[in-house]
Amino acid sequence: MERSPCEVYRFPDFQNPSLIVGWQTQDVGRLGTGVIDFLNEKLGGEEVGKIKPVDYFSLSGVRIENDVARIPQTKFFACEKNNLLLFKSDEPEDEWYRFLNFLLDIANSLKIREFYTINGNPSLISHSQHRRMLTVFNEREFGEDLGKYDLSGMYYEGPPALSSFLLWCGKRRNIPGASIWVDVPIYLASLKDPLAQKQVIDFLNRRFSLKINLEELDLEIENQSSKIEELKEKDAEIKRFLNLLESGIGLDSEEQLKLARRIYDLFGKEAEG
Amino acid sequence: MGVRFFKEPDLKKPILICGWPGIGNIGFIAAETLRRSVNAEEFAEIESWDFFYPQKVMIKKGLMEDLQFPANKFYFKKLQAKDLLFFIAEEQPRGDRKAYQIGEYVLDVAMKFGCQRIFTSGAAVALIHHQMKPRVWAVPNKESLIDEVRRYENTILLSDIEERTGQGYISGLNGLLIGIAKERDLEAICLMGEFPLYVSHSTAYPKASKSVLEVLAKILRVEIDLSHLERWSQKTEEEIEKIYEQVPNEMKEQIEKFKSKPTELGPLGEAEKEKLFREVQEFLKRSKEDGEISM
Repeated sequence: MERSPCEVYRFPDFQNPSLIVGWQTQDVGRLGTGVIDFLNEKLGGEEVGKIKPVDYFSLSGVRIENDVARIPQTKFFACEKNNLLLFKSDEPEDEWYRFLNFLLDIANSLKIREFYTINGNPSLISHSQHRRMLTVFNEREFGEDLGKYDLSGMYYEGPPALSSFLLWCGKRRNIPGASIWVDVPIYLASLKDPLAQKQVIDFLNRRFSLKINLEELDLEIENQSSKIEELKEKDAEIKRFLNLLESGIGLDSEEQLKLARRIYDLFGKEAEG
Repeated sequence: MGVRFFKEPDLKKPILICGWPGIGNIGFIAAETLRRSVNAEEFAEIESWDFFYPQKVMIKKGLMEDLQFPANKFYFKKLQAKDLLFFIAEEQPRGDRKAYQIGEYVLDVAMKFGCQRIFTSGAAVALIHHQMKPRVWAVPNKESLIDEVRRYENTILLSDIEERTGQGYISGLNGLLIGIAKERDLEAICLMGEFPLYVSHSTAYPKASKSVLEVLAKILRVEIDLSHLERWSQKTEEEIEKIYEQVPNEMKEQIEKFKSKPTELGPLGEAEKEKLFREVQEFLKRSKEDGEISM
């Protein structure tokens, strides 16, 4: 018996929705998944389907993370009132082109208008500094339209991220798409970065008139900042590292590692989760 | 998805030569050197996106201008003696399904132009000393080709290696392609240059590519300028020598035995070979970790 490569629990009622993608593999600053989770929570998103992991992931066993077994996730959520389709997924380990096209097939069947991917960009900056929001788009006109927001066009030549592969697949099908890349302090790369998240939500608020209240994120930012400030007062070396970053001076790899470890210890599982 | 043609050359029973990366890049270097030597012209490519992850993206002022995938290109050259076809790939596909599919595309193109003979090329990891001239191990896909292969210089069949008794396994596209060709009743031969057991597989080994090319040049009746490969081989050997000087004497004594013909190695049994391989690999790994060598 032929089985469908995806499961649809419910067909959402959309009018040319926009698709927002968050990858949970190497999710710098937990930005991709953080934004999807936040949107789901604030907009009442409902899980409507998934792509089956067969063919795209190694399934000879399961990975254990933080004591718990997990299987790759590839889930769709619908925020119908706001006309947003959300996709939260692990990055496929194989058959990338098929996977990305299948994602676009599903999105196309819902007649999506445009798509976005949300990504963190590990940077040698301090948590108190302004985060650049860079963008990559697959159609010039779409990029010009995004120019109204605080997004800077990226310059880059090198190995591509999966988001770029998705943009390329979208371009071949005439679906406009953009990747949003937000600077995340290197020492917050494996933790949650609420300021980066706030900036993305702020952009989405304006782009889609979502009217999401950002106070919750402001509190998280304040809480994170005050804890780091306390650490700075107690630890002269950390203070020096952070001051250097604030002055725009980089750290060597050993210093980066030391700083990241101390910050990770400070927030531990609370920030990780 | 499929093969994209830029040109439809008029060819007469061409011979297809294939090359892709692998151990020591022996096949890739051989095929690419021959292609450049005869100045073959590109005429088709396999659309790579279904098979490979892209290698490079180019973004300018936010606009994604290009996404580059590993190239999988076909070339042709009309020569007096024989017309030639080339398939040269920058990467081997991951997974059996994709490898088979690429193999089918390559043979579809070969047959479209009336090709009746195919050569693939790769590495034969062997008990050979790096100062020795590598031989070429040849595996045809038809019994009727065995007599011809026996006439090739510096070439052996698997049955010539005592311990192998004609049995073996060719991994990757080199093997798969001659297998699929057999299904289609096409003659194909895999020519594998000997590669020293103890050298890191990622080290380019042009010396073995040169051995393969010497055989191919005679079969195809073409003149190939091998001076570049000779210089490159010399350089590679000097690099290997530098590491070799640091190898402990006990290990070196074992490796020195490889200067004899492999079939005359006598006292070095399977268990000893495996032990030596493990020891050398461990030594190389340690040396790399210590930053003593840079290969």
